Amino acid sequence: MPRLLPAKGRSWFRRSGIGGQLLSLVIVMGIFTIGTKGRYVSGANLQVILSLAAIPAIISIGLHQVVVLGGIDLSVEGVVALCVVLVGFLAHNKFNSNDVGLWIVPIIVGFGGLAGVINGLLNTKLRIPSFISTLGMSWVLWGLAVYVSKGQTVPLLKNPLSVFVNGTLLGIPDLALVAFVLFLVIQIVQDRTRFGRYLYAIGGDEVLTAQAGVNVDRTKIIVFGIAGLFYGLSALFLAAELESAQAITGNNLLFPAVTAVAVGGVALTGGIGGAKNAALGALIVTALNDGLILLNVSPYAQEAVNGFVLVTAVALTIDRRKLGFIK
Amino acid sequence: MGMTAKEPALELERITKSYPGVVALDEVNFTVHRNEIVGLIGENGAGKSTLMRILIGLIQPDAGLYRLRGERVTLRDPASAARHGVGMVFQEGSLVPNLSIMENLFLCHEIGFRKFGFLSQRAMRKTASAVLSLVKIASDLDTPISDTTPAVRQMVEIARLLWLSRLYHQENPVLVLDEPTTVLTENERITLFRILTDLKRQASIILISHRLQEIVENSDRIIILKDGKNVAELDARRANIADIENKMVGHSFATERYREDEQVEPGNDIVLNVRDLSKRGEFEPFNFSVRKGEIVSLVGLVGSGKEAVCRCITGLDKPDSGSVSLGGKKLAPGSPSETVRSGIGHIPIDRRSEGLALGMTVAENVNLLVLDRLKVAGLISPVREKKNADRLIQDCRIKTPSSSTMCANLSGGNQQKTVIAKWLSSKIRLLVLDHPTRGVDVGAKEEIYKLIRRLAGDGISMIIMCDTLEEDIGLCNRMLIMKDGRLTSEMTCARDKKPSPSNIIALIV
Repeated sequence: MPRLLPAKGRSWFRRSGIGGQLLSLVIVMGIFTIGTKGRYVSGANLQVILSLAAIPAIISIGLHQVVVLGGIDLSVEGVVALCVVLVGFLAHNKFNSNDVGLWIVPIIVGFGGLAGVINGLLNTKLRIPSFISTLGMSWVLWGLAVYVSKGQTVPLLKNPLSVFVNGTLLGIPDLALVAFVLFLVIQIVQDRTRFGRYLYAIGGDEVLTAQAGVNVDRTKIIVFGIAGLFYGLSALFLAAELESAQAITGNNLLFPAVTAVAVGGVALTGGIGGAKNAALGALIVTALNDGLILLNVSPYAQEAVNGFVLVTAVALTIDRRKLGFIK
Repeated sequence: MGMTAKEPALELERITKSYPGVVALDEVNFTVHRNEIVGLIGENGAGKSTLMRILIGLIQPDAGLYRLRGERVTLRDPASAARHGVGMVFQEGSLVPNLSIMENLFLCHEIGFRKFGFLSQRAMRKTASAVLSLVKIASDLDTPISDTTPAVRQMVEIARLLWLSRLYHQENPVLVLDEPTTVLTENERITLFRILTDLKRQASIILISHRLQEIVENSDRIIILKDGKNVAELDARRANIADIENKMVGHSFATERYREDEQVEPGNDIVLNVRDLSKRGEFEPFNFSVRKGEIVSLVGLVGSGKEAVCRCITGLDKPDSGSVSLGGKKLAPGSPSETVRSGIGHIPIDRRSEGLALGMTVAENVNLLVLDRLKVAGLISPVREKKNADRLIQDCRIKTPSSSTMCANLSGGNQQKTVIAKWLSSKIRLLVLDHPTRGVDVGAKEEIYKLIRRLAGDGISMIIMCDTLEEDIGLCNRMLIMKDGRLTSEMTCARDKKPSPSNIIALIV
């Protein structure tokens, strides 16, 4: 048989290679270990890194699938803000007599999912670019959250979730374990199910995929919906962690998540990168910021470093052949 | 006739399809028998691609019958065609680049590989290897499509279609191959036809190619379309190329088609002078000149270097040596902006992506190069802009509701006229036309020929590369023939002394 093919390719690695990301994590950790004379790799600090990385990881595991489709989801802050405010109304709190107990989990996560489905419908049915539809959604939900809560903070009373989010299992923070399980589930879905296959096909070429018979719109709506579920879960954990509910809990979640997705190697042009990239990206970004804090770097300089890291990561991962013009 | 004894696999009867202003298909009949290779031939615009798009369900006919294995069917989309065992390998490919060979093979039909909700990699691999062995590919199933050669992609597409027909229990699938050999090397081409002959035992194949030789050699029956109508059906064993060419072009293909009576004798002044121009790997040192109002045609096969010569003249590519002078003034090599400023216009082959801003209006497009002339007190005057546009629209007979219509809403022919108008307005001295009538209907072709004649009459020199040899011969004053990067011969094409295509084919090949 004639051999018509080039040398053996490794699509798994190419599609979502994590070699470079692992290497950067090692380099970041190496530098800070030396800079802090070993304090950085102490058990206590590693625990801190893991617990700080958990929420950004959960958010970016949700968000990155939208990026794999070739879109973007900027709605995370609004979705989280409204979900957190909702927690304040429904959980055992100081202001009203409501207490839905553990029903709070499906209610809030489901609410986040609903917001995501609306994102998906705006994108597919009204054909609004995800950049605009999700940005608009974020502001609408944020506005609602502040309006409904009248800008107030609702202190939460004793509930089992607060115990869980602050707990550890065998020294590993519970939230980090949740993030790990979610990563595993999504990674398996991406590698081994039809849904995962369609996700990458749409990211590669939407028109051809639709021609092959894939229901592109439905896949997209599901992806936005899953992202929303993950934001809802993050909102629940954030409220439980802070033991209070207020709209501003949603602030400053988007930038780290987008940075994590890009740093992890998910190409903004779509079709490349998976859950492992998003999770690893969140870990790298958190490890970097933790190190800067240990070294007493000014918080303003930290922000500058984060911006630099984001642009560099995109420069390294973007597929320029796919972009005719850069706008 | 022996043919009637054969069992038809697919029958299209009296298929009609019209678009605003054009009848693309006029009661066309098309039958494919089981285990047969049918060659489909016709000029650009003859209706081949429309017919094939109907055949695979991409578009619906206005009227006509579609029968598969004797039963009437309606194919809503390519996916439903695939379920009926009908599919097409497109020229531009229809595989998703970031997915692997195996993932593309089964895309959208993975359901049979599900085990406990997950896709069984082992089962997929086994099936993939078996299917790919049908098209003689033994290779790593995980290679992303973007890393494979066009030959492999083609084979993966064929394998996918074969597998789909099996999956849906369709005997004798019908595969359409659109210009399959243009992207292949000679060896790959031989392999392809060996595989196709092999596949004939279990499938029917429709072969579309502009290379008549390979159609005659590899098909059983040949169907010729012209201007959206059936013109002939031949037994390939008894067909000869001259006869096919004749039928393809038709008897109406007379001298007046290219308005040869309007052909003008070029003036004496030399407008363009090309000296020792060369580019490594593309063409060797090259000399020629173009006189005022002269139409020079560059002829040669793909790879002869004619496209590269034009790119060097228009400044899109930088030559390795030599010079291009316009009116005695040397042009800076590799600078498209200077080339335009000094008076060389370019009508690219792909006007959608290069020649025209489709999202802009006709007026904005035709005025693009002359904005300076339309200024009043330093600002662009809308009145002068409209006046200039209206004049050009009338001059070039662009059929548009108004000068503020978006170019995207015009037909291909009128878009092309808009591109020509753009250059006309900027007072150029030389125009390079790269396949000016590609994808343009017959009526618009006429007007483009008329426009070309008028440009020549106004003293504008032209270098053209055409879709067909007949068009080259009909339009030009002089023909330069290139082969393997060298200028091999030159032929004059005076008004009443046009050479015949067969004379020139011998020089090209």
